[in-house]
Amino acid sequence: MRFKASIQNITTFTKLTASLNSLGPLAWVKLSEEQVCFTIIPEQGTQVWAVLSIDSIFRDIFVQSAANNVINLEVPLTSLNRALKSALNATSAQIRLTKKDNMPMLALTIVTTASSNALPPATANNDDGFDAPFDDEFGRGNRETIVTQEIPVRVLAPDTVAGLHEPQCRDPDVHIVLPPLMQLKSISDRFTKLALADTKSGSGTIASRTRLELAANMHGCLKMSIRTDALSISSVWTDLNNPELDPSQVVGGENGIAAHPSTRMKQLGSADGRSDEGWALVRIDGRDWGKVMSVGRLGGRVIACFCHEHALVLYVYLPQDDGDNESVLTYYVSSYSA
Amino acid sequence: MVVLNFTLTPQAASKLHDLLVCLGKFSDTVAVEARREKFTFTALNSSKSAYAAVTLDGKLFFTKYECIPSSGGPDGRFTCSMYTKALLSVFKGRLYDPLGRDGAIDRCEVSVQERENETQCRFIVKMVCNQGVIKTYKLTYEAVDVMHALFDRSVAKNYWSMSSGVIKEYIEYFGTKTEMLDIFAGEDGRCVFKSYTEKISNGKEILKHPLVTAVAVSTSDFEQFTVQAGTHIVISVKDFKAIVVHADTLKTSLKAYYSQPTRPLQFSYGCDGLLCEFTLMTSGDYTGAPLTSTPAPQTLGSRGASRAPLTVTDRTSIRSDMPPPTEPASRRDRSGRLRNPGSRQSSSAAQEDPESLFIPDAQDARRREDDEESAWAPLDYEKEETLGWDASADHDASVFPTFRDSGSMSTTNMSDSNEVFEPTQRVSQIKGLW
Repeated sequence: MRFKASIQNITTFTKLTASLNSLGPLAWVKLSEEQVCFTIIPEQGTQVWAVLSIDSIFRDIFVQSAANNVINLEVPLTSLNRALKSALNATSAQIRLTKKDNMPMLALTIVTTASSNALPPATANNDDGFDAPFDDEFGRGNRETIVTQEIPVRVLAPDTVAGLHEPQCRDPDVHIVLPPLMQLKSISDRFTKLALADTKSGSGTIASRTRLELAANMHGCLKMSIRTDALSISSVWTDLNNPELDPSQVVGGENGIAAHPSTRMKQLGSADGRSDEGWALVRIDGRDWGKVMSVGRLGGRVIACFCHEHALVLYVYLPQDDGDNESVLTYYVSSYSA
Repeated sequence: MVVLNFTLTPQAASKLHDLLVCLGKFSDTVAVEARREKFTFTALNSSKSAYAAVTLDGKLFFTKYECIPSSGGPDGRFTCSMYTKALLSVFKGRLYDPLGRDGAIDRCEVSVQERENETQCRFIVKMVCNQGVIKTYKLTYEAVDVMHALFDRSVAKNYWSMSSGVIKEYIEYFGTKTEMLDIFAGEDGRCVFKSYTEKISNGKEILKHPLVTAVAVSTSDFEQFTVQAGTHIVISVKDFKAIVVHADTLKTSLKAYYSQPTRPLQFSYGCDGLLCEFTLMTSGDYTGAPLTSTPAPQTLGSRGASRAPLTVTDRTSIRSDMPPPTEPASRRDRSGRLRNPGSRQSSSAAQEDPESLFIPDAQDARRREDDEESAWAPLDYEKEETLGWDASADHDASVFPTFRDSGSMSTTNMSDSNEVFEPTQRVSQIKGLW
C-alpha cells in the first residue's frame, strides 16, 4: 500500500480541511489516482461527500494498493489542518503514507524558507536601527528549513467502507444558486443568536429554538426565517438564479424535465417573493447551518436543491475547476418535521 | 532592616512585565533576591525540572538602584517570594506606550517596607503616570530563602546560539498539546527540532494522538553551532516555547549549553542589563538507537570554529570520544529529498500584485488571513456579547453636585438585598418589570 503526492494547492487543501473539520473531527478519505474523496458522517447533523479532481489539490500522485489501487483512510481533520497550516508559506509540500512503529501515518514534508521578519537581529547594541543585517542574510545560507508533520491515521479495510453509501434523495422541487455565503452566514448567525437570547429563560430544547426555516422558489427567491414565541424574522433574497436542467443529465431527457417537480414549481409563486405559493421549505438547525456555511471560505459556487419538507442538498463547486474534471462538495442537510 | 529602592523607566517596567509572564509559565510564585549590585527573579517549577533566573543589573537596567541588605555586608541579600499573578496585576502590559495611551506610565518606583517600627511589611510599587496620577500598590510577600540551580558551563561541551525570531518561527510549526522536544544534531549539517508526545494509547485513540513535528534546520542558520553530531537531547516543549517567546520580546539570540541527556541544559539570553538563564532537566535519547562504533565525523563546520571563541578547540577534541547513534529511520527515508526542494513558489506569494511598489508585510497579511478565517468559523453562541462597563470609578459622581441618598440609607439598602447583580445584568434577572 503506497501513497505519495505533491500538494499542488496548499491554500485550497487547508481551507477544505478547515471547512470539513467544522462538521466533524474525522474524515473518511478515499485515495485513488483519479480522484480524492472526503466524507464526513457525523453522529448527527450534516453529512459531506466531497469528490475532488486530483489536480485541484495534488500533483504527481502515486497510489498503489491490493484493493484496486484504492486506499481508504480515517484521518483526524484537526491534525491534518494544523499540519497543512504550517505549509502555507512553503516552497513545496509533499504528503505520503508511511508507517512508524507499525502505526500508519500521513507524513507531510514541507520545504520552507524563513520569512524576512525573522532575520537575526543586528548586533545587540544597534542603537541607530538603520544598520540592516544584510550581511547576515546573504552570509548565512538560504535559510531553507524542512518541516515534517506526522498525522496519525487509520487504514480502513474495503469491507469497512463497503457499507457506507451516499444518501439518495428524490428529485428536488427547487434548485437555486445561493447568494454569497458570507452574507448568508452572517444573517443566519444573527438569527440564531437572537433566537437563543430570546428564549434563554424560556422552555424548550436548544435545538427547537434555533430552528431556521429556509425556503426557495423557482423564480429566484430565497427566504430565511426564524420564529420563536417572542419574535418572527425573515429575510428574502430575490433575483437569484435558478439554473436550467441539462436534458442529458436528467432521466428521460426532455420528457423527464417536463415531469420534473421543479417544472411544476415554476408555475407557482412570483419573482418578488411575496406570494405564499411555490416555496419549497426545509427546517434546519441554525447552529448546524453555521457549520455548513464554513465552506464559504473556499469561495465556490453553491447550488441548493430543496426537497420540500424533506432535505436540502448543497452542491459546492470549487472555483478553479475547468469543466471536465469537476470537484464538488455535496452537503446533505435533512429537514426537521414541523 | 533592609533598604531597597529602585526606579524603572517605562521600557524597563514593560520588560519586567514580559519576564513575569514568562516566569509565570513555570511557577505560581516568583522569588526575589536583591543584592547590592543586582536584582534577581527566580522561579522553580513544581516538578523541580526547570529553574529560571532573570538577573537585572543595578546600573544598567534601573534608572536608580539602591539596595542595602540588613546583614551580610557586601555579600548580603534580601530575599522574598511573591505571587507571580499579584506582580503581574501591577506590572501590566502596555506600561510603555510611546503614544501615551491608557496604561502608559512615566516611571515606576519600587521600595520595600520592612522596618521594626512598622506593623506591615510590604513591597510597594508606585506607578507615576501622566497628568500627575500616581498609582500605589502594596504587595505582601513571604520571607523565603532563595536557592539557585548550579550549572557548570565548562562541562557543557555542546553549544549553539540562534536568533530568537527564527526559532520562534520553528515553534509555530509545532502542534498543540505536544509534550516533548528533541533537539538532535544530525551528521548531515542539519539540526532537528522535533516536538512529539510519548505514545499514549492504541486502537481508535490513535487518531487523537497529537502531531509529531520535526523541523530540520541547516546548522549554518545558527549563529554558532558546536554540538557533538548524533546528540539527542529532550526537554519539555512547553518550557522551550515559553523561553523562545520571551527571548523574542528582547530580540536577542538564544544560546544553549548542554553536555548529554539526563544532565542539565541551560538556555541563556539577554541584553541591556537583563540576563535570563533557564536550567532545565533533560531526558535521554528517546529513540534508543544503538550506538555505532564509528567516530563522529568532524563536519561541524570550519565556520563554527572561525566564529566561536577559543575554547572551541577543546570542544572538538572531546567530541570524538562520543560515538553518535544511528540515524532514525524517519530521517533516512527523507534524506534523498533533503537537497531537492521543489521550485514552485508558494501560492500566496503568487497572488500578490506584481505591479505593487510595496513589499507586503507578512505579519499584516497573516493577520488579515486570520480575521478572514475566523469569519468563516462556525459562530460560538456560548460567547456572550456584552456592553463594556467602566468599573474603574474614575468618573466619580461626587465631583459634580449630584443628588445622593445619605450614607446610612444606602448602606441599609445594600444589606437588604442579598442578591448581587453584575454590572451587565441579564434581562431575565430583573423581576417585576415584565
